[in-house]
Amino acid sequence: MNAPAAKARVLFVDDEPRVLTTMRMLFRAHYEVYFAESGTQALELLRKQPVDVVVSDQRMPGMSGIELLRAARDLNPNAMRILLTGYSDLNAIIGSINEGEIFRFVNKPWSNEDLSTTVARAVTAARVSAAVAVRSGETVAAAPIGPLPAVLVMDDDERVPAQIQAILGKECRVFGATTMSEAVDLLEREHIGVVISDTRVQDHPVVNLISTLKQHHPELVSVILTERADAGAAIDLINQGQIYRFITKPIIDNACKITVNSALKQHERLKESPELHQRYEVAQTPEPPPPTSGSGRLLDRIRSLRSWVTRRA
Amino acid sequence: MNLRRLLPAVLVGVAIGVLIFLLRMTQSVDSELHLQRLDNLQALNTLDVQFNRVLTQAHVAALMTEGDERAVLTDQLGDALDKLDTGKQSLHGLSPELDQALDQFLDTIRDKVLLGLDFQARTTQANQRLLNSASSVPVKVDAAVAAATPAVRAKAKNLGEQLKAQVVDLSVTPSPTNQSDIHAMVDALDQLGAGQPAAYKDAMVQLRYAAADVIQDKEELVGTLRKFLDRPTGPQLQKVEQQYSAWYATQVATAGKYRLALVAYAAVLLGVLGWLGLRLRSSYRDLDRANAGLTRANETLEAQVESRTHDLSAALTDLRSSQAQLVQSEKMASLGQMVAGVAHEINTPLGYARSNTEIVRNSLADVRGLCAAQQKALSLLAAPDASEAEIAAAMDEAEAQRQSVSPEELMGDLHGLLQDTDHGLGQISELVSSLKDFSRLDRSRNDLFGVNDGIDSALKICQNQFKGRVEVIKQYGELPQIECSPSQLNQVFLNLFTNAAQAIEGNGRIYVHTLVEAGGVGVRILDTGCGMSEDVRSRIFEPFFTTKPVGKGTGLGLSIVFRIIEEHGGRIDVRSTPGKGSEFVIHLPLRQKRSAETAQEAVPVAA
Repeated sequence: MNAPAAKARVLFVDDEPRVLTTMRMLFRAHYEVYFAESGTQALELLRKQPVDVVVSDQRMPGMSGIELLRAARDLNPNAMRILLTGYSDLNAIIGSINEGEIFRFVNKPWSNEDLSTTVARAVTAARVSAAVAVRSGETVAAAPIGPLPAVLVMDDDERVPAQIQAILGKECRVFGATTMSEAVDLLEREHIGVVISDTRVQDHPVVNLISTLKQHHPELVSVILTERADAGAAIDLINQGQIYRFITKPIIDNACKITVNSALKQHERLKESPELHQRYEVAQTPEPPPPTSGSGRLLDRIRSLRSWVTRRA
Repeated sequence: MNLRRLLPAVLVGVAIGVLIFLLRMTQSVDSELHLQRLDNLQALNTLDVQFNRVLTQAHVAALMTEGDERAVLTDQLGDALDKLDTGKQSLHGLSPELDQALDQFLDTIRDKVLLGLDFQARTTQANQRLLNSASSVPVKVDAAVAAATPAVRAKAKNLGEQLKAQVVDLSVTPSPTNQSDIHAMVDALDQLGAGQPAAYKDAMVQLRYAAADVIQDKEELVGTLRKFLDRPTGPQLQKVEQQYSAWYATQVATAGKYRLALVAYAAVLLGVLGWLGLRLRSSYRDLDRANAGLTRANETLEAQVESRTHDLSAALTDLRSSQAQLVQSEKMASLGQMVAGVAHEINTPLGYARSNTEIVRNSLADVRGLCAAQQKALSLLAAPDASEAEIAAAMDEAEAQRQSVSPEELMGDLHGLLQDTDHGLGQISELVSSLKDFSRLDRSRNDLFGVNDGIDSALKICQNQFKGRVEVIKQYGELPQIECSPSQLNQVFLNLFTNAAQAIEGNGRIYVHTLVEAGGVGVRILDTGCGMSEDVRSRIFEPFFTTKPVGKGTGLGLSIVFRIIEEHGGRIDVRSTPGKGSEFVIHLPLRQKRSAETAQEAVPVAA
């Protein structure tokens, strides 16, 4: 380890003090560790001492983990946020994605190794983005050149792309795809910045596609728009696909517009500062993608998209 | 509403009032009274005339009856005047003109009556004097005739006789020529006196005086009578009658006007009545029509009832199945909530226990290394063939290991970690056993069950909802075991505790009090939550009634509680004060009433 001053600061929040004891044992050697037994205590601490990573429990009396992470994001936007929780309902998960913009969702009981890896990645990302934040303070961001990136909508329902086009207006191009290969075709042909997708397309989960896209094209921003919200799928999508937002149908025009615009901005930011990609680094898919017909080939095509993008650039 | 009911009554009252007023006004002319009054006036007139007559005759013949007749007349006159002045037939107060005329008349006639009373005294005297002077005239004539010379005696005697007759005429039935005749005869007798003896002349002088006395007395008498007769009672009475007639005419005219008004009013009333009648008739017609419709409907009713009954029973079946579904989904929802809580409760201790074990395992590698290094150093020390250098290296190695591991500190940490792990495992096993208690899959309601234990396991399961903010204060009585369905009762307690925890915002307390009651046990669960209004309180046991936002509660929790308690033959009451909290009081019987079949079923279970 380097000089103690260079140690990253990690804050652990859990209402069960024994969890904090364990965390101390696990991480004290590598990081400067801080502990809080409640959300209010954590925020107090954050106001005095900015940290690189916040790891919080979700179910806590008084302030929930999501509320804490949202407040922490406002206080200290560069800090990476991890939710460590025994059980969370879907609303909590969606909230943590949309409001907390969390890096990972870790289930209790956790594996020490995985947790260590996750925290280590979060620390790296936090440090890089802190550096970017300092730099971007100096340079004036240049206005985006060329046409605005387009939006790709993957949905079984053909009406959804038209609906989103209507919501976004004419200045933004929207492409629709009802199958994954169609989507990849479009990704090859068009300059796509944001992917809006249902959790399943043609009965295939999109998590592998989104995950591969994020691995190879980190500047692509994905938004999940679904009516079949499912807690497990949402956790996979955040951990493996680093989805930017999770919204549920029926579509609320205004909220949808805000979400997509913010996703486009996020895309611009990621394109300009590739260092930030680490903030949205996805976890390695635990198992290789299922050998369903054509799916492996599709993912290969996605990998090859990179050369296409670089060629274009 | 009151006004609408009052208005018609007021209208009818006013209409009748107007009618009565008009009727009275038309009958204000009393023709009988009018006739009586006219009779009275007529009688007065007659009496006045009679009075005049009586008094006029009085001086002619001083009859014995004259006084009586006058008294009778005066009485009658008085009566008639009284009638005129006061009483029912009085003419007073009818009109000012009439009053004036009447007063004038009454004054006059009273004067006249008074005069009439005075009259007798005065006429008697005058009559006496007249009689005296009249009777002295013949004496004087005879004296004059006796004194006359025979030449003229016959003539004088003739004249004297005529004079006597004239004087008698004058005093009894005077005629306009009487006086002048008497004067002429006295003058003629005087002329005869030329050349007559002095006695004749003396007698003539006396005769002249006597004749003058007679005339004077007679004139006085006549003057008195005239004065009496000149009282203008007649015209005044006539004026009274005229005024009265004028008044009566106006009365009759007014009454006529009112009669006209009455006729018009009656016509209007008749019109209104007719209109009401028409309306009534049309209402009746509507009623008849409705009645006919009803009769027709009645005829088809039975068929309709049958089809409705069929529909209803179908709907009831639907309702029952959807109710069962809803109850099931409520159970699943509360189960889901419970699972969420319990999963978190278990995963947290499981998380740190597992992590701790891993840390301990990893640390054991270091400890093993240290042990090996120390073992090596020790065995080298014990080995006779070991060189000093080898021992020193081994010792250094062991010391370096010891310093990097720092076993005292590590042992303390490991001990702590294992203690935490133990604690976590204990918590997990406690929860799991509560779950096991909780989910006893019993369908019958005749297991013996300790209510306190049920409350404890429900509290354990709800713990994650209380943790850190809700303090539970238990006060348990020594309860006998009761016959019940434990899993159902557990659900009751779980639902009540969940509601209590949701009612408490921030920090609060839940009091649980159990006690033995006659024939059963009582459970009181009191929270310091937000409480509820009377309106909410009266509806909380209704199915689907919920105060939670849509999608957050099915509104079945408390209705299920109610049903379970009811099925157990118990009862549940609730008291609440908004802002202070709520209290649920449950009474459960010691034994279940069993039907024949459950009793039969119960035997093998008990065995």
